[in-house]
Amino acid sequence: MPRKTFIVVLLLALALAVPAMAAEEIKIGVLYPLTGGAAAEGKELRDGAELAVEIANNVKADVDMAMAKNGGIKSLGGAKIKLVIQDHQGNPQLGADLAKKLIQDDKVVGLLGAYHSAVTKTVASVAERYGVPMINDSSTSPALTKEGLKWFWRTTPHDTTFTNDLFVFLEGLTQGKVKGVKAVDKKELLPAVSACEKTEWGSNVDAAIKELGKASGFDPQVSLLYAAKAPDLSSEVQSLLAPKPGTMLFAGYGADAILMIKTLKSMKAKPKVIWGQDAGFESPEFVSTLGDDVEGIITRTVFSPRVGEVKKVSKQVNDMYKAKTGRDLSGASARSFTGTQAWVYVLEKAGSTKPEAIQKAANEIKIDPSELIVPWKGIKFATTGSDIGQNELGTGLIGQYQKGKDGKMTLEIVYPFDLATAGMIYPIKGW
Amino acid sequence: MPDAIGGHGPPYRFHRSRRATMEDSLTQIAKAVVSGLMMGMVFGLVALGLTIIWGVMDIVNFAHGEFLMIGMYCGFLTATGLHVDPLFGLPVAAVVGFLLGLACYYGLVRFLLRGPMVAQLFGTFGLMLFLRNVALMVMGANPRGLHQGILVGKSFIVGPGIIIELTKLAAGGLSLAAFAATWWLMNRTKMGKALTATALDAQAARYMGVPTEKMNALAWGLGGGTVGVAGALLVNFWPVDPNVGLLFTMIAFTTVALGGFGSIPGAAVAGLIVGLMINVAPIWDALSTCLGIECLRGGQLHEFKYSFVYLAFFLITVFKPRGLFGWKY
Amino acid sequence: MEVLKRAFDFSDFPKVDLWVAGGVAVFLLAFPALPHSSLAMATMIQFLMFSVYGMGWNTIGGYGGQVDLGEAQYVGIGAYTTAVMMIRWDVPFWVSLPVGMALAICWSFIIGYPLFRLKGHYFAIATIATSLILKDLFESWSFIGGARGLKIPLKGDMPNFLYIQFRQDYYYYFIMLAFFFLGILYLNWFRHSRIGFQLRCIRDNEEVARSLGISAHWAKIKAYATATAFVAAVGSFHACYNFNIEPEDTMSLDLSVLIALMAMLGGAGSLWGPILGAAIMVPMKNYLGAWLGARAGLVGIDLIIYSTIIMLVAAFEPRGVWGLITRLRQRRRV
Repeated sequence: MPRKTFIVVLLLALALAVPAMAAEEIKIGVLYPLTGGAAAEGKELRDGAELAVEIANNVKADVDMAMAKNGGIKSLGGAKIKLVIQDHQGNPQLGADLAKKLIQDDKVVGLLGAYHSAVTKTVASVAERYGVPMINDSSTSPALTKEGLKWFWRTTPHDTTFTNDLFVFLEGLTQGKVKGVKAVDKKELLPAVSACEKTEWGSNVDAAIKELGKASGFDPQVSLLYAAKAPDLSSEVQSLLAPKPGTMLFAGYGADAILMIKTLKSMKAKPKVIWGQDAGFESPEFVSTLGDDVEGIITRTVFSPRVGEVKKVSKQVNDMYKAKTGRDLSGASARSFTGTQAWVYVLEKAGSTKPEAIQKAANEIKIDPSELIVPWKGIKFATTGSDIGQNELGTGLIGQYQKGKDGKMTLEIVYPFDLATAGMIYPIKGW
Repeated sequence: MPDAIGGHGPPYRFHRSRRATMEDSLTQIAKAVVSGLMMGMVFGLVALGLTIIWGVMDIVNFAHGEFLMIGMYCGFLTATGLHVDPLFGLPVAAVVGFLLGLACYYGLVRFLLRGPMVAQLFGTFGLMLFLRNVALMVMGANPRGLHQGILVGKSFIVGPGIIIELTKLAAGGLSLAAFAATWWLMNRTKMGKALTATALDAQAARYMGVPTEKMNALAWGLGGGTVGVAGALLVNFWPVDPNVGLLFTMIAFTTVALGGFGSIPGAAVAGLIVGLMINVAPIWDALSTCLGIECLRGGQLHEFKYSFVYLAFFLITVFKPRGLFGWKY
Repeated sequence: MEVLKRAFDFSDFPKVDLWVAGGVAVFLLAFPALPHSSLAMATMIQFLMFSVYGMGWNTIGGYGGQVDLGEAQYVGIGAYTTAVMMIRWDVPFWVSLPVGMALAICWSFIIGYPLFRLKGHYFAIATIATSLILKDLFESWSFIGGARGLKIPLKGDMPNFLYIQFRQDYYYYFIMLAFFFLGILYLNWFRHSRIGFQLRCIRDNEEVARSLGISAHWAKIKAYATATAFVAAVGSFHACYNFNIEPEDTMSLDLSVLIALMAMLGGAGSLWGPILGAAIMVPMKNYLGAWLGARAGLVGIDLIIYSTIIMLVAAFEPRGVWGLITRLRQRRRV
């Protein structure tokens, strides 16, 4: 009978249409070190990424970002992002195996991670082989973007940029450009020495320091490579302190950064400047373990809560983060937030989950600096030149640990000189 | 790809400042030597337990480093859990180590002795993995270090700038005391003599009425106890994590091999030598500055500091198995 | 011809064993056609790799009676030879494979000569020592990338048989399966050969063997060389399968221990032992990890289980699982 048939057809149509109307879920595979020597940083990274997803998937009126207004990926029918997080424990082999699992079993649309440059290297290799897009938010070894990979993009600036910042800063110190410090005689800062952990990341920092330092006359007299897992650094520190250094430069992950400073303290080191290339020197454990001993140490970073005073959106996100976790955003969480954010914008632009579409979108995208919580000039990935896939608009900061009036240790910005939020403590108190 | 060789130093200096450099370098050498000797005293104590077990019953305890690790955790937990000074961890670690040694003997080693040598090797190897992974499960992989205590982090300066860290000094001093105590035990008490007798000839000792089974257990208990104390001392300046045992097992084996299996004074002397071996890099640095030779500065030698120890083990066991004072091989 | 006859001569095994082995072989050949997850495929490939590692180890550890805890250094030699030759000189896998094996054999002779003056525990520890020294050397040698390791770039389109680079894992599986079968055949030949008899004689009673004119020293060195060749071959494969190698991953003590452990658990000194050991431990390792998840409290539970098994095996049945099976059989017969 026509009427009954009509109702049946209507019901069938509805039954078929409803699943089509329901929002899809877009899975992104995330690899961070949640256990092991960098577990503290891993936790920060995860918190940053999860916050970004929360903002992207829901409408948040109090955040001035494009993705906070959409409640999902608009161009994909409001699809929500889901992070599938795996712990690589700092092991490059495990990272690669987990990446394969994420791609083949979990069928993720793309990858994000992985902090340790050595792990990012193997994971990027897997991504390239399977043709799956990967955005690297937190690894800074310059070598990662020098291979011309077609499926790898990096939002964070890399160590060549950061190390360059360091030497510009040191030169600025001798020229009186640093807030709160009169021009320092270069002889006071020499000799320079350096000690870096010896995997992919640290050895590249070591090379960068030697190369870039030569131009400004700060190349290290003693430069050592050590194993990040080493339980004892006393013989290394003895060699470092032998020429009575003025400037000490370090690149280490969590546990070894702490050990290095402790060993310096027990050997009564008295340099003028101690600098750390982020990573371990920025981890919350570093401050909580060493307490007052970190005062005066400078580290490169990409974010400090102080940026919130200059950028409204940074403060808004930082407040949300603090409400959720009880901590301020750090360099790690700010970058993972930004990396996840980049994924959201790339997917929005691509309008599809097909790898080729994502690849095209990533190569063409340009994200305005007002959308970012980090003080960069924006995000645009290079498609030509020697650094393919690298964000050309990123910049670094140098911060110094100083004890605030409330007795808490915070990172004050000392570089770029015009963004400085406090006078620099010079020289370091020493022990 | 970067080279690991250290950077270039400033160009050759004038004679006037050369003498200053020479004094400087001598101080550096003295510093490095003192530091090496202090570590060496602790290594000696670590090896002491091993040489007792090895001497008394020809079984190698692969889990020796893990006993040390447990001793370190004991020291750490006593200090942080009870909020007392780390020094109180020493007796705790000694008792725990002693009991652990006994437990391992009665629970495992006793059965291994009946089997072929391969079984003994794998038995204690399994024990090593077992202890290491239980520690991993219970304590987590993160390295834990002591940051507070009467001695922790403090040092004083002797002479023209030689820095003596109080923790290492105490560790050295206490290990000397432990050595003396052990020596007295082995040579001046009835029990000690019974142990030595078992070591020399188990059959004959049995005929003489020595309860060799109990002596074996005692050897394990003593071995565990001494290395437990070493661990509690070590944790004052060396962070503990579940994997720390391997390095010390290798160091202990080299020390015992160098000193001679079964010889207590041998372990002490050999420990000092091994401690110096690990500090070769800064000594070489200082020497090379002193003599003006700029090759192989810093960098690469540091990466091999433990390799020297392994190489020493290899060479000693192959070419001079008796070691310095050994009477047993 | 004699060689081939010996290699295929399985007649001294009970018929039951041969049927089981045949069944397993069929399963292995058919596996990629069955539905499987990527974890299952990875587990099977690892099982095959560790079986061959174990077969190699068995030559010196089982038939030779000297427990070797430093095999990982040869994995490194094989892996790095292949990686360096591929990266720097575009040498295909099939050429760098024998080169790696040859280098491994050379190194084994160099350290084997002094090493075999030692026995028992001292030998075991000395092998650990040499392995760690070599690892330290590799970590500081910038020509081969030092601690940063090496990355093998993609050489054109996949599948690529010259450089063995594939997108799908089953290609790797079949290559490894071929190694596996070749390994079994080789070991079978080894068992029947003169050197095999010499080793068994030495293991039973070295004094008697020497009195019969057997040079124990050289027999062991030759067995060691065989073991290292096996291991280096799989090492070369490992470099191509993983695309990234570094000393910490290919030459660590943990790997040496795993190799020895699996072979010993399965039954050192028998042909099927190492394969059994790998069959038990590799899936347990992967799946135990997956089931219990990364729940922080249970990290390392798989190793706790193995080490307990090892301790039990060492205390009560040193000949491993295969020894247990043999013992049960004998009891039933009587």
